[in-house]
Amino acid sequence: MLPEMVKLRRKGEELLEDGLGLLRPFATTLGMLFTRPITVQYPEEKRVLPARSRGRIILTRSPDGDERCVACFLCSAACPVSCISMEAATREDGRRYASWFRINFGRCIFCGLCEEACPTLAIQLTPDYEFSKATIMELVYEKPALLVDHGGKDPDYDFYRHAGVTEKGEKGSHVNEQEPVDVKRLLP
Amino acid sequence: MSRKPEEASCRLTIDGREIVVAADTPVIDAAERLGIMIPRFCYHPALGAVGACRMCAVKFLDGPVKGLQMSCMVGARDGMVVSTTNPEAVDFRRQVVEWLMANHPHDCPVCDEGGHCLLQDETISGGHALRRYRGPKRTYRDQDLGPFVAHEMNRCIHCYRCARFYQEVAGGRDYGVLSIARRTYFGRYEGGRLESPFAGNIIDLCPTGTLTDKPSRYRARRWDLERGPSVCLHCSLGCGLTVGARYREVMKLEARLNPEVNGHFICDRGRYGFGYESRPDRPRQPRVDGRETIAGAALAALAEGLKPFEAGKVAMVGGTRSNLETLAALLGLCRDQGWRPPVFFRDARLAGAAESAAAALSGDLVASLADVGRADVILVVCADPLAEAPMLALSLRRAARRGAAVLVLDHRPCDLPCEAERLTFAPQELAGCLSRLAHAALRGRKEAAAYLSSLPLPPDLLPETALALDTWGKRLAEARFPLVVCGTDQAEPTLPALAGGLARLLAGSHDQDRRAGFLPLLPGPNGLAAALAGGGDLEALLADIEDGRATALLVVESDLLSRTPEPERWLAALRKLKLLAVCDHLPSPLLEAAHVVLPSRTVFEAGGHFVNQEGRLQRAMPVFSPGLPMGRTLREGHPPRLFMSCAPGSEPRPAADWLKDLAGLLGAGGRAGDWADLAAAFPGLPGLAAGPAPENGRRCLPETAPGADAPSVAKTGSPDVPPDHLQVLLVERTFGTEELSCRAPLLAASAPEPWVDLAAADAGKAGLAHGAWLLVPLPGGPLRARLRVHQDMAPGLLLLPRDPRLLWQRLAGTGVLVELLRLHAITAEEEPAGEDTTLEAEP
Repeated sequence: MLPEMVKLRRKGEELLEDGLGLLRPFATTLGMLFTRPITVQYPEEKRVLPARSRGRIILTRSPDGDERCVACFLCSAACPVSCISMEAATREDGRRYASWFRINFGRCIFCGLCEEACPTLAIQLTPDYEFSKATIMELVYEKPALLVDHGGKDPDYDFYRHAGVTEKGEKGSHVNEQEPVDVKRLLP
Repeated sequence: MSRKPEEASCRLTIDGREIVVAADTPVIDAAERLGIMIPRFCYHPALGAVGACRMCAVKFLDGPVKGLQMSCMVGARDGMVVSTTNPEAVDFRRQVVEWLMANHPHDCPVCDEGGHCLLQDETISGGHALRRYRGPKRTYRDQDLGPFVAHEMNRCIHCYRCARFYQEVAGGRDYGVLSIARRTYFGRYEGGRLESPFAGNIIDLCPTGTLTDKPSRYRARRWDLERGPSVCLHCSLGCGLTVGARYREVMKLEARLNPEVNGHFICDRGRYGFGYESRPDRPRQPRVDGRETIAGAALAALAEGLKPFEAGKVAMVGGTRSNLETLAALLGLCRDQGWRPPVFFRDARLAGAAESAAAALSGDLVASLADVGRADVILVVCADPLAEAPMLALSLRRAARRGAAVLVLDHRPCDLPCEAERLTFAPQELAGCLSRLAHAALRGRKEAAAYLSSLPLPPDLLPETALALDTWGKRLAEARFPLVVCGTDQAEPTLPALAGGLARLLAGSHDQDRRAGFLPLLPGPNGLAAALAGGGDLEALLADIEDGRATALLVVESDLLSRTPEPERWLAALRKLKLLAVCDHLPSPLLEAAHVVLPSRTVFEAGGHFVNQEGRLQRAMPVFSPGLPMGRTLREGHPPRLFMSCAPGSEPRPAADWLKDLAGLLGAGGRAGDWADLAAAFPGLPGLAAGPAPENGRRCLPETAPGADAPSVAKTGSPDVPPDHLQVLLVERTFGTEELSCRAPLLAASAPEPWVDLAAADAGKAGLAHGAWLLVPLPGGPLRARLRVHQDMAPGLLLLPRDPRLLWQRLAGTGVLVELLRLHAITAEEEPAGEDTTLEAEP
């Protein structure tokens, strides 16, 4: 084939492609007119989000109904925007807990790093995203507003069943533990 | 020290880098000097190596030792080639940490060590991220080790650091290792308070969460603390501290390494003597005539109030717990305004003793705390190390363990954690005994003639006592590095000069590379600076106030009323004053009497410089800005929901700033820069001119003391004590008596019950038994206290601690005598129920 012919043919193909490019969207739009719409009429209609979506943060409870948070400060250390603050203290029964716990949702970026850091599965993100407020101070949540009465995503886990401290259960009574050593026994 | 580096040094290669160190330096130390941190648990520079943890394994590729070895157990030798990153060593260490973690209780979230835990760090850096062992874990029961140390044995990895410190370094006998093999247990035979006053160090030493700080238990993580270097204020030694504060409250104090002062450790008085800065009754608001006001108004009122007074009628009282900046401002104010020179010490005897100790000090003679450990013969005169400066006792033990001989000449039953010979004399006999000792030590020395002739005559001694003194004198003369420690709290004014003179002449008796040392114990963390500044004493000032020779008084960080044996007389005198201004951060009854109150900052908030007893200038950094602790501002259980630019209760200012602003209002002349002021205020510390202190401090004493060669010594006469009478002496105790730490809630709540001491001979005469409740008739009223009877105590004395829980202020005067037979034991029905012994005046 002559080079001119080749050139001409390529030009024609380009033109055809361009023309189709103009028409295809119209066809798609036209086609969509006959499908079911996916738009949700928010706020009248609400979608159910997956359980792992990252919205409002809660503090959950262990199976025995006690709060899970032991105020270990890992969430506040992991938080990239420093929106979590708390003060650790010893509860009357001797266990470690947060005497106050505050999350500033005005600052929170819902990254979920606190949840990943939490060793007791206490702090969890929920699918709830609807809590915008008129004043910024209302976005500062205190512990009573954060603490819920369920176990969240992993309701069966109890940190104190595994940790070898005596706060809940004597030494040797936790998962995978031997009886305490008798240090005054003389046998080898 | 005396080893020449050429003979004993060796060259070795670690990870391809060469280093020259002294032979036998542990390889782990040599690597650290190159910046290579070999993982370790049991090795600690202050405790040495035991090779218990197997964590510091490295591969020796070439040289006298070959193969996988523990780097803490192998001393450096020439030609060693060491690899810390050899795959075999790395794999070995990974396995070591895995088996150390096999029984770990999985409780880092509730463990206070989390965040600064060596076990956490080594586990992660060793590559052991996932547990493989699924079998049952060994557990231990914990013990209650008292108010300071929390015990959680499941976390233990058996490195033996705690037991080695407690028994070897601190000389404690009640904590150690029990059982064997897999059951090895660190604790006491039975639970109970750790007896050693250095027990808190095992918290710092423990590389895991087995031993943690109980007062700060469950309160904060290390990464959240505002931390900064500081200096301990609870005696004159000036040990290094690291302050950790959170939410405007000191959480804990830790030992800060200062090789020439405290080394790695501190005593429990220093570690737990905080808390006075967050007392609810701490003055935080300036007050004028009882009404709260703002800083400017209070200062203006004070300046206005001071103007009508003649300069000679205005007196100032300073405290030895103030920082150097405050003392300099105080001295400058008095000098510029022509006021009476400031007063720092409680009586003429203490002022004299401190001044004579300061005059005897010079750079060539002074000994640091580290020097005590290097000495071979140590003479302790009129000092109770454990009570007055506890870390000195630890240094004495270090010296004794290296073979030093220690002699203690004192009237108190000094309890020492080491072997020491004790000779007890009445306080007024001590100078004479020292004289006998000095004669034996310096016999036949021409240059000592002037000194020896100035000494008082020795008292009549028992032949064996005289012989012992002569023997010790000879030992001092023959010693390689003799050291003289002298206290000032109980000493006659001339005694420190005598002790310093003896040390100086002992130094002169040696060859060039030998030396002698003098270590005085001074009252308060800035006692040396105060002693060098001179001034009068509080007893003289009290007389002047009563006579109307002083009518306006400014008290800056000094506890007049709660430290004086005559509080009633002082209260009456204070009422005569036309103006009383108090600048302090401690609550005291003085604040109620004051016309103007200026709240000052504590060392944690203001920082500042301090000069310890060896003239070492050290710097404390301000760690947090003052304010009510967060816990005290809670509303409805959480911090107030407010935006504020400053914290509530943040009005206190550094005392030096108050004084400088006052000087400005009073129209002081032009001032040079702050540091020039400081140097000019203390001509006795020429080293100050070189500027602020470096990290480990800097000695500021002149190289030779002016007039140090011939101590001018006045002969002292002994007070007449009628037969069957006891001299009542106020003494310090390790816990509960020192000015700042007795206001620390932690120590106040846990200090042992105060007691009074009596010699066995006197107790026998009066028919009193050890442990009985005693009724002591004092001029201000009867005092009830538990009695301790001692064999090793000078007779004729009744030792009364300055403990606010005792009614010691009923002493109502100094030099009080009590008739021995008027002491009597209380029967069981009369025994007080605890609260009776507390002092009502003490808030």
